[in-house]
Amino acid sequence: MRPRARPGGWDGPAPGRPVLTAGEHRDAPRRPDRPWPSFHDMVSRLSTLESAAVFFSLPEATLRALARRLRRIKVSAGDMIVFQGEPGDTIFIIERGRCRMVVEKPPSIVTVALLSEGDFFGEGATLLNRPQQASVYAQTDCYLLALDRQALHTTMAGREHPALDELRQVADQRFRAFADTSVQATWGLLLQEATVVGVYSPKGGSGGTCISLNLVGALARRYPGEVLLLDLDFPYSHSALLAGLVPTSCLARMSSVPQGSFEEVLLSAVLYHPKGPMILPGALRPEEADEITPELITKAISVLRKSFSYIVVDLGVTITDSTLALFDLTQHVVVVTAPELSAVKSAADAIDILVQLGTPHDRLSVVLNNRSFKPAVTKSAVERSLKRDIDVQIQFDGSRPEQAAVDGVILSITNPRSEIAKGCEALAALLDSKHGRQRGPKPAAAPAGGESVLAGVGEAD
Amino acid sequence: MPSRSPVGVIHQATAGIRRSALRRQLQSVAAGKSTALSIDLDQAGVDVGEAIEEITNRLPMESMPVQRLVFAFKRSGTADRVVERLAAKSPQQRARSARVVGALQLTEAVSWLAALLGSRDRAVSDAAARALGKIGGARSATALVLAIQRRGLNRRLVAELARAAPDLFVEVALTEPQRPAVRPALAIAAGLRRRQTAVGPLIGLLERGSRRERVIGCRALGWIGSGTAVPIITRALGDRDWKIRMSAAKALGALRAQSAKDDLKYLQIDRNARVRKAAAQALYRLRPR
Repeated sequence: MRPRARPGGWDGPAPGRPVLTAGEHRDAPRRPDRPWPSFHDMVSRLSTLESAAVFFSLPEATLRALARRLRRIKVSAGDMIVFQGEPGDTIFIIERGRCRMVVEKPPSIVTVALLSEGDFFGEGATLLNRPQQASVYAQTDCYLLALDRQALHTTMAGREHPALDELRQVADQRFRAFADTSVQATWGLLLQEATVVGVYSPKGGSGGTCISLNLVGALARRYPGEVLLLDLDFPYSHSALLAGLVPTSCLARMSSVPQGSFEEVLLSAVLYHPKGPMILPGALRPEEADEITPELITKAISVLRKSFSYIVVDLGVTITDSTLALFDLTQHVVVVTAPELSAVKSAADAIDILVQLGTPHDRLSVVLNNRSFKPAVTKSAVERSLKRDIDVQIQFDGSRPEQAAVDGVILSITNPRSEIAKGCEALAALLDSKHGRQRGPKPAAAPAGGESVLAGVGEAD
Repeated sequence: MPSRSPVGVIHQATAGIRRSALRRQLQSVAAGKSTALSIDLDQAGVDVGEAIEEITNRLPMESMPVQRLVFAFKRSGTADRVVERLAAKSPQQRARSARVVGALQLTEAVSWLAALLGSRDRAVSDAAARALGKIGGARSATALVLAIQRRGLNRRLVAELARAAPDLFVEVALTEPQRPAVRPALAIAAGLRRRQTAVGPLIGLLERGSRRERVIGCRALGWIGSGTAVPIITRALGDRDWKIRMSAAKALGALRAQSAKDDLKYLQIDRNARVRKAAAQALYRLRPR
């Protein structure tokens, strides 16, 4: 039976704020939305939001405003949460449980990501107004926190544009990654195992991360979609940031992933750069670096070697158990040094350690990175100190590397004429010549012969 | 053609000029050519809401034209005046303000619009429902569900709920305990939204719901076009209740379920004439083309 219409009307005055008359006040609630969450609920919501990579950097006031507007949804195992091709207006953050993200391309279904606590999805449809690019199913019973478009824009519009931009960037990143399902499909199908190259810079500020990133760029031009940068430069891993990507997961978070789903989760954490290289951050936060153990690295490398042609590992400065474990797994080590007294001394010590660890001389390369126009220590002086030749010398490149970092671009891809790009191209050619990876299509801009360029770079001093 | 008095013609012409001026002003703000806005909400013959709707129709709230208009309205103080007028004495003023709020998608007015859903004046409650549908989001959808709880199954409220509800809102609400009128309304909204994610909850409704819920659940599954629901809808063709049989026949026709052809043929000799008609119509839709 239809309920009878309420007595009373809208007879009251309008003194600036809407005032309901007594008759209507009983039935029509002043605040129709659901009650504010309790203290413990808010704490739980905030911790889930903070564990999501894009949200944790937001100011606390914004986080609280977002947390208040979240809807908690329970989804049973096997239920569909998002259907590929449908429109969407909500970002789902996983509070508890595990979800599987699949791209359905008949006749096959490709699992593109396995999501767990702190991961989120639905941002593409919400922020880019595109249809959902993948279907998401609950793999276990899940608790999700749903943030709809209105709540997001009400909270963040005008105040937190950078965060919204970052979310859009993540959405765009994922869109491109999933669109190239052919890359996903080739994972695990490559017949050869990857060559692991460790880039070690014993002195901070020598440009190890910059060279790792540009080396990956140079290799990715030869083998698109088959080159990975594993960023283990702790405690602050910034490779993804320098490449203009927003990390959403990392290797450290794989420590608690069960063995059965380790490979899928690990591969789903890989960030896909539109120009070919892929990046796997080691840790998103400094404290997560403790989660990286030698066992985890060995397990991860064994999985990644099946899926890529080259794995370049940015090893940072400190030598830890994990670094030593990685030296055992590498086929080639690149030591980066700058023409400065302390850097050269550290490099000499590092080379001694590497030789003691059993690294063959022909699998060890030294890169001299000139960080100033006229370095105080000459190349020949560096070679005398290291008691070995410099394999690749990178000339001073002005402010280009810093500008590239600000712009989020990889110089070896965007500007092959820059000194960094030339040096990294030479290094890539050196690696290719030593490890016999000549099956990929060569880019037109790539030098014709690795050795001649090497000689040229070497002789430039 | 009825003859018009000269005064009437002049009034009409004046209103036309005002409308045109308002439209130009709004278009220039939306295009970013101007930021100044001066609007008289009481101008005779001018509907501000309609003029804004012309510009913002189908544009999302984060789009630049909408953002520019909202900014100009807020900066000029017109947005505050519009929200205040949601509590005006005159129902016309309330309805017009609701239209403006809806066209500008002002989320901060959701609470006031929710209160207007209870208005006895149908034009006001409909305008408030439309505005909530346009604004969208969980708060608007919750307000509409509460209004359905109070007023029962109302066509306008259900249509706007389908439009306002964010992802998984209706699906989750369908699985939660609800008052009698609400679940059928939610099922219709789920059908109108045509989302595959609602198939599971609707099948649950078809298996365990009341008679009315099962009837609506069948139709909603037909609207969504979910092939996975065909077996369970086909089973509903044998239900004792004629309304459920009729609804199932219509849903199978909408789904173009060839596998149910024999069952539908059998239904052509049903004791209820409306079921027979629905079965014939469904078979017509299943014919080879």
